[in-house]
Amino acid sequence: MVDRRLLFNMDWVLLGAALALCAIGVATIHSATYSGHNAGLYLRQLYFVMIGIGVLAVSLVADYRRLADRSPLLYLLALILLVAVFFGPTIANTKRWFRLGPVLVQPSEFVKLVAALFVAKVFSESKKDTLGLFDIALPGLAVGILAVLIAAEPDLGTAACLVPLFLAVAFLAGLRLKAILGLTIVAAMLGAAAWVFALQDYQKDRVYIFIGAKKDPKGKGYQSDQSKIAVGSGGLTGRGYKQGTQAQLGYLPARHTDFIFSVLAEEIGFVGVVVVLGLYLLVLWRGLETAHLARDRVGAFLVVGIMGALSFQVIYNVAMVAGLVPVKGLPLPFMTYGGSSVLSSLLAIGLVLNVRMRRFAN
Amino acid sequence: MRIYEDLRAVQTRVTVLQYATVALIGVLLVIFWHLQVVRGRYYRNLAENNRRRNVPIAAPRGVLLDRNEQILVENRPSFNVVLSTERTDELDGTVGRLSQLLQLGEAPIRERLPRRGQPARDVIIKADANIDDVAAVKARRLEFPDADVQVVPLRSYPLGAGAAHVLGYVGEVNDQQLQSHAYEGAEAGDVVGQSGIEQQYNRSLMGKDGLREVIVNSRGAEVGEAETRLPIVGPSAMLSLDAALQATAVQALGNRPGAAVALDPNTGEILLMTSVPAFDPNRFAKGMDAALWRGLLTDPDTPLINRVIQGQYAPGSVFKIVTTIAALEEKIITPETTFHCPGVYTKYGNEFHCHQGGPHGTVNLTQAIAQSCNVYFYNVGVKLEIERIARYAKMLGLGQVTGVDLPQEAAGVVPSPEWKMKRFKQPWWPGETVTVAIGQGMTATALQLARLAGIAATGKMVTPHLVKRVGDTPWPSPGPKDLGIKPETLAALHRGMQAVVAPGGTGWRAGLPGTSIIVCGKTGSAQVVQRSRLAKDASEENQPHGWFVAFAPMDKPRIALAVMVEHGGSGGQAAAPIAHEILAKFFGVAPVRTTPPVVIAGPIG
Repeated sequence: MVDRRLLFNMDWVLLGAALALCAIGVATIHSATYSGHNAGLYLRQLYFVMIGIGVLAVSLVADYRRLADRSPLLYLLALILLVAVFFGPTIANTKRWFRLGPVLVQPSEFVKLVAALFVAKVFSESKKDTLGLFDIALPGLAVGILAVLIAAEPDLGTAACLVPLFLAVAFLAGLRLKAILGLTIVAAMLGAAAWVFALQDYQKDRVYIFIGAKKDPKGKGYQSDQSKIAVGSGGLTGRGYKQGTQAQLGYLPARHTDFIFSVLAEEIGFVGVVVVLGLYLLVLWRGLETAHLARDRVGAFLVVGIMGALSFQVIYNVAMVAGLVPVKGLPLPFMTYGGSSVLSSLLAIGLVLNVRMRRFAN
Repeated sequence: MRIYEDLRAVQTRVTVLQYATVALIGVLLVIFWHLQVVRGRYYRNLAENNRRRNVPIAAPRGVLLDRNEQILVENRPSFNVVLSTERTDELDGTVGRLSQLLQLGEAPIRERLPRRGQPARDVIIKADANIDDVAAVKARRLEFPDADVQVVPLRSYPLGAGAAHVLGYVGEVNDQQLQSHAYEGAEAGDVVGQSGIEQQYNRSLMGKDGLREVIVNSRGAEVGEAETRLPIVGPSAMLSLDAALQATAVQALGNRPGAAVALDPNTGEILLMTSVPAFDPNRFAKGMDAALWRGLLTDPDTPLINRVIQGQYAPGSVFKIVTTIAALEEKIITPETTFHCPGVYTKYGNEFHCHQGGPHGTVNLTQAIAQSCNVYFYNVGVKLEIERIARYAKMLGLGQVTGVDLPQEAAGVVPSPEWKMKRFKQPWWPGETVTVAIGQGMTATALQLARLAGIAATGKMVTPHLVKRVGDTPWPSPGPKDLGIKPETLAALHRGMQAVVAPGGTGWRAGLPGTSIIVCGKTGSAQVVQRSRLAKDASEENQPHGWFVAFAPMDKPRIALAVMVEHGGSGGQAAAPIAHEILAKFFGVAPVRTTPPVVIAGPIG
């Protein structure tokens, strides 16, 4: 059972900020979809959030150290699930899901949490004060396998999340600056190799178009352009809730999923952007603050791993909405429509709370 | 009891990560500030351009009225089923199902779709759709989100084929016209005048299109209306035509190829203008039917030609009016001068025949005109010589356009030694002067000859015109020009032309017996083959074109006219009865049906 002392150490600010983002997300999804055939989605999202809160509460019961101890087992389970999706349904030419009753579950969203537990566990066992490239090679390979499997679905965005997750923990565990430099070089080489061998044409096109090196005859820059127009036209105070022409007239693609922030920026304006980015900053800051308070390395590492992935997702998604980076299918945590994303985001917060709650406990 | 781990090194690095996060979020905020606050207006405009689309509202063209304010051309609302070609992915299926719904062939629709690389536009699927079509399309809005029904003004010509050439027709502006100065201001898709008054006064009649600013969603479907600027109707124009007189002429001419035109000899106002065969401009208004158009273009009877201003025929004996004026003005003859007509005139080693009405014996000018004696005018012509004949012909308005306010007027040809040298690189043969004197070997239009009749009536040359005013702007009439012909000359000419229409004259059928209105006229026939060939083969296509020109009343002329019947034979028999009907209508008297106007054999001047 949950010790009453544990509740005393609950971070209500962190939880409140995360739930506020969820609420803003539901409202924005409502605005983005109420006039179309997706009109009921905001209600579904609301249910997902409520389920998420329940799952979060239940997850607090289990001690994060016990979870970390069992992370090799969880890692194996993750591998099985990621292989299993290749036998699942194909949606929009991707195999990211399997069906569970009325809902589609996206395992990769939860694999991020497993990876955080696993990486935290592995690095916490290291007795060295500083780490070189060689020291992180094996755990890197383990995470790399997960990333490759996710990238093969294909879901490049989610796969990319594992990189900052891993690096943040490695950095915390004492990765030397020289090694970080070396890693950058290796990453560049891997990137070049991927460009030649692994990247699909559509992915290359996105990059070409983004850097302006290629004309855009089929309108592949359309999403980015329309999102920028939506954001910019919002101005200081926005065009009004449900009044954004880009969102309401359908010029904005994926407006209740990856581009949800664009709808918010258009309709609520810079004011809304400041509030929401402020809330994200609060979540990230308070989350990382937990790493200060953690009673052990594995707790600190777990928190930083989770926050690494989360901050990457937030920053990349928002930068994408502003047209700064190429379009990638990457959900905005808490706000984007989708059960797996909401659940995994709230579970992530749950793990952070878990670490904080047990800072004094045995 | 557990020993707490030493986490100081870890905590330092966490702090680094914390501030890195703050920095990144801070950068994002600066970028959003730039996008939304600094550049907000720019993106707001882009968003507005995204959702607003301008839909032109066609302005109805100006209405055309006759001199008694009877409607000659008007507009009626019609429904067009149009298809937006913005979304190309579903276009193919939509065209197929839509053509099935409206029971149309698919091929002509596909022909009109924009080609690869052309910008998307609204394509008219069915023009002037009926109420069933409209209901069918409106009821299937969901199935055909790109199809729409537009209300457009459609040009309507109550006189139909009866005034086709003079009023003209309208059609969508073509690429060539868009380049030309004449159609300046027209935009692709505009309906413009393609002939007749519709073309000549196109710019004045067009009005100003309105604009509907609509809000469209990303699929191009209209979801609302932002602003509407109503179209400005083109100004109405009053023509000098008299619809009733026009109808009379059309009926009198029937289906025989020919032309009739009448004008006010004092002002040049055209009272009627008809050309047969014609076409129905109403059929062009809905959009050009390719098969119909090809049929009209290739028809040997050239229904698209306005014979009044574009048909060039030898004036025949009508030209004797010119020869008479020239001879009297140049004092070659007096009205009393006589010549003997033995039925044939021998000169320069050739025989020139009088027509089959001869020999006329010894005739004076009045008798020569009344009987249309060729030999009399052979003698006069030889004395005048070709240079003076040509000079007078030009002075009297032949061989040059009249300046009527219609497009593509023909000038006709007045031959002269210089002209022949230039045209055929051959010297003038004196024998040609003999035939020119009686109006062969030259060409003129019916409008030129109607004006010639007017000059014979008043001694003044007018500029024929059709428009009295457009909106409030009157037609800038240059006014009649006095040619300085002596009154004695005109009086002598009038005596002769009066005798033409009097009993015993060649044009007696045109007269208005039983009234005090004295009609002056002149018959003519334009040879199309040599006399010898006509004698052998008197089939219709060898028959000369019959002319009749007239003015009335003699003392105070109010109308001058020219009637031509192609291959009608003699003007007296073919054309004069038509002139009679027109004159009777004009003066409000009952026409006298002499003989039915039928084609007879034999060329009689």
